[in-house]
Amino acid sequence: MSGVRRFVARRLLLGAAQTVAVVLLIFALTEALPGDAAVALAGDQPDPARIEAIRAALRLDRPAHERFADWALGLLHGDLGTSLTSGRPVARYLADGFGPTLVPAALTVALLVPAGFGLGILAARHEGRTADRLISSVTLAVYAVPEFALGVLLVTVLALRLGWLPPTAVGHGTDLLADPSVLVLPVLVLLSRPVCSLARLVRAGMIDALASPYVAQARRYGLSGARVRYAHALPAALAPAAQQLARTVDWLLSGVIVVEALFVIPGLGTVLLDAVAERDVPVVQGLAVVFGVLTVVLNLGADLVAHRLAPRAGVAA
Amino acid sequence: MKNREWAEAKDEEPVPDDPASAPAPVAEVRDLRVEVGGTVLVDGVNLTARPGRVTALVGTSGSGKTTTGLALLGTYPPGARVSGEVRIAADGPVGYVPQHPASVLNPARRVSALLTDIARLRLGRLPRARRRAAVAREVRRALAEAQLPDADTVLRRFPHQLSGGQQQRVVLAQALLLGARVVVADEPTTGQDALTKARVTERLAALAARGIAVVLLSHDLDVVRALADDLVVLREGRVVESGPAHRLWSAPRHPWTRALLADRAASDAPDPAPKTGPAALRVRGLTARHRDGGRGTAEVLRVPELDLRAGECLAVLGRSGSGKTTLGRCLAGLHRDHSGQILLDGVPLPRSLRDRDRSALAAVQYVFQDARAAFDEHRPVLGQVARTAVRLRGVPADTAAREALDTLTGLGLAETLAHRRPGQLSGGELQRAALARALLARPRVLVCDEITSGLDPVTRRGILGVLSTLLRERDDLALVLITHDLESLAPAHRIAVLDAGEVVEEGPAERVLRAPRHPFTSALLRTRDRLGAPSGS
Amino acid sequence: MRGRRGRFALGAALVAVPLALALLGPLLAGEPGPRSPSFTVGGGHPLGSDFVGRDVVRQVLLGGRPVVLTALAATALAYLVALPVGLAAALTHRRGLEELLMRPLDVLLAVPSLLLILLVATVFSPGAVGLAALVALVNVPDAARLVRAAGAEAAARPAVEALRMQGESWARIAFGYVGRSALRTLVADAGTRLTGVLYLVATAAFLGVGVAPDAADWAVMVDRNRTGLFVQPWAVVVPAVLIVALTTGTNLLFDAALDSGGARDRDRPGPRRRRLRRTGPPGGRTARKRATAGRETPA
Repeated sequence: MSGVRRFVARRLLLGAAQTVAVVLLIFALTEALPGDAAVALAGDQPDPARIEAIRAALRLDRPAHERFADWALGLLHGDLGTSLTSGRPVARYLADGFGPTLVPAALTVALLVPAGFGLGILAARHEGRTADRLISSVTLAVYAVPEFALGVLLVTVLALRLGWLPPTAVGHGTDLLADPSVLVLPVLVLLSRPVCSLARLVRAGMIDALASPYVAQARRYGLSGARVRYAHALPAALAPAAQQLARTVDWLLSGVIVVEALFVIPGLGTVLLDAVAERDVPVVQGLAVVFGVLTVVLNLGADLVAHRLAPRAGVAA
Repeated sequence: MKNREWAEAKDEEPVPDDPASAPAPVAEVRDLRVEVGGTVLVDGVNLTARPGRVTALVGTSGSGKTTTGLALLGTYPPGARVSGEVRIAADGPVGYVPQHPASVLNPARRVSALLTDIARLRLGRLPRARRRAAVAREVRRALAEAQLPDADTVLRRFPHQLSGGQQQRVVLAQALLLGARVVVADEPTTGQDALTKARVTERLAALAARGIAVVLLSHDLDVVRALADDLVVLREGRVVESGPAHRLWSAPRHPWTRALLADRAASDAPDPAPKTGPAALRVRGLTARHRDGGRGTAEVLRVPELDLRAGECLAVLGRSGSGKTTLGRCLAGLHRDHSGQILLDGVPLPRSLRDRDRSALAAVQYVFQDARAAFDEHRPVLGQVARTAVRLRGVPADTAAREALDTLTGLGLAETLAHRRPGQLSGGELQRAALARALLARPRVLVCDEITSGLDPVTRRGILGVLSTLLRERDDLALVLITHDLESLAPAHRIAVLDAGEVVEEGPAERVLRAPRHPFTSALLRTRDRLGAPSGS
Repeated sequence: MRGRRGRFALGAALVAVPLALALLGPLLAGEPGPRSPSFTVGGGHPLGSDFVGRDVVRQVLLGGRPVVLTALAATALAYLVALPVGLAAALTHRRGLEELLMRPLDVLLAVPSLLLILLVATVFSPGAVGLAALVALVNVPDAARLVRAAGAEAAARPAVEALRMQGESWARIAFGYVGRSALRTLVADAGTRLTGVLYLVATAAFLGVGVAPDAADWAVMVDRNRTGLFVQPWAVVVPAVLIVALTTGTNLLFDAALDSGGARDRDRPGPRRRRLRRTGPPGGRTARKRATAGRETPA
């Protein structure tokens, strides 16, 4: 059992190192501004007063390591700094954007597991037949499509041509649950890629397992088909699927940014894109830290789950 | 059908010693023929398995043992055309113990789940409340009968956390839970050392003692001799001879049976004259370490002193994990993590082969256990063999190719085979090619690491014969023969016995085998005697 | 077999149109005509006009090249870095060097790709070249890990030790044997990676990273012309469909092409093993006997 404990310890250590590195990287990237950072950040209106304000806000007169220490210390206390453009604390931006992002993201995750496993198992059960061929081809195809392209096409057909669903979430503010119909398209688009990849992994894992000597032995010994499928083949497909769920976090994040832009949802993705456009460094930094740490933590969790499901799977640590 | 002149001996129904008490067969194969894509795997095979008896199917690899054994399980290769008859007693499921037991244990499930699943099958009719307790009781009983003590620990483990022997016993426990009347065991001892072999043999004997019919597929004659009540000798998919074991051992009728069952005494005996003269290779104060799971190192081998003379064959005998392979790898420069000195003609060899010059590389050559993995699968064998002469002796490519071909044919590999890729050669043929590749360096010392393990007896004897011939023909060559297998000691002049990284005994082969001084050596030899004793007499 | 060939044909057909447009489109585009009002339908423009009144057909002809070229360049660049790093890590016997090469990449792997791209975009204004470099950068960790894994698997085989025993040179071992053994895996990975890179390049362009706001680029067209979706859907739908065809087709094509081999990237979902069907019923008598013996019939 010491092997498991060592794995967990190593993985936790890596997670911590990744978190620190992400924070460092984010700071270093925004530090790497060419020339006078304040002038560069002032952008299109190089108004001397604004440049001075930026310089003061970012405390550019002090050495980088002091600024980093201050910023990192602030992060530990939950102080993410204040916006350059509005002067509001970054934490406020996060609080405002959190709800509209959480609702579609949570719905997506909730639907992802049953949909992905359901399709994967269905395809594996009918391996080589029409149902499998259909699921395999469609998942393979949709898996590669960028969300924005799929999104505009769905909007064009379902919202504009057929008029079944609202094309955007405009007019609903931050309360998306007031009219659930505005959520249908965003969730559908968010689901598209992760579901495909999960379904394909489950299918491949189950088909591999069903062709394995241990399943042959179980069948030979008279275990029922359902028991072989769900008690033997499915567990073998679980570990890679759990890891895929972790990778999905990355995709979900890109998806959230794109989907919020596409459907005009005032969530964290929109906040981030606006801050990037306005070069509002503290807001970008704050959001990046939150997203980065979230990714590290979720990846860590998925790796630990995958390790528990198949301790031999050689999960990278 | 190379040996058409060998007339097929008449099939003989295995007759129990006392026909009146012969129990009815629990499984029978009649006139089985399996064909895949025009290739006949087996044809006209008959087999009878009776309760409490061990029926052994013997033959070289590719003789159709596994095809026949799997037919009892109702499993055929993909695309097979099958005719004939496989009869299984009504309420008698067939258990199966494959060569690699881990392959039939689901890696994602704990042992408890794997056993409970099967126990439930038979106890499914019990009311739910009582079933759980009954299942747990059955599982524990099966584990005990399969000689797996400490059930609590084993049940909690995943299959990969068990040793190979434990995995095999879990598979046996599954068969017992199933209530199998017949158990098919496929090469259960291949590649195992003598002590492990003895345990596997005991396990199978215990199975037969419980009234289960055991069908043993093996080319391991020790185990067959120890266990089999009836023998079926297969060759190229056909039965050449079958009958009670004692009859076939004492009076084989078919020449092929004689060749297959021939005693090891028949193989080439080495020149018994002890070698004198200065040592070609000397090992002084060698200590080798392995990395221990990322942190720290563990000492795995300590050899204070070991000498090897020219023209001599030193066998290094030990169980797996005894450090014998590490010793060979240190000599060849493949294991760099060691201290002490390895001297060739009094000159120290660099620890790693990356630091050895061409003559030092050529002087100590190494032949790998897995010949297939030691060749590049993309290139023809001949070219790969010839490269040794090009790289280590600076011979021009065409001369090297000619020399390689001469060496290969000299070792008994046909010219047509030499031009093929490794994938088209058998294990024995590849091992000859690997020997040729090493010999082209004109080595002073040749380290052979388990080069006969996993080969059937006929092929193994062929390779050992080649080694004996080499020793006779090249006086300057010294051989280090690393083995776990007492059968492979034929060419040895001296034997060094390794246990847990220490040389526990060293001396002339004849003396060590006849009068071992160390208890470990005696234990190793006793297992052979026990296995070697013909059963049923 | 039919499924594979079908997917291959479908993939090729899907890829053909956008690829041809990307390669030949700029040659056919000709000179820009006079501008029309924004989002008109007809009026000499078969697909109408875009948000600044340009001809949509011409924009479509011009807009494929940046997507395809940036994606190809980014994939090539990713391997240019990943191959030496991964192979060096696979073949070295010094643990320290391996850690030094691979650990920083593990950290980079923890940052979501699009987030990294957006972070850089806050600070710099990367052009097409910068975008290709960025997308390559986010792909390096994963690619290097794959190269290392495939290489290490080959490098651990006794064949490599046997080659060393024969005194073969490092280059011959690394490229002649290890590289060759890993080739199949690498080709399979390149297909998957190209799909992923296409996704990132297009998405970044859609979000305005690495492109001018009025660039002739399919992804930019989708973004900028969205405001006129009600009046002039063609300016959005045509480039969106082309992007879907390009990404889907590439994925189908590579999947079908690599399926023939059998050696596939283990992570990649797909039908790896195909069970052969028996040529005939397994000897009538045998099957029936077994069936009557009260056991399951061989399926």
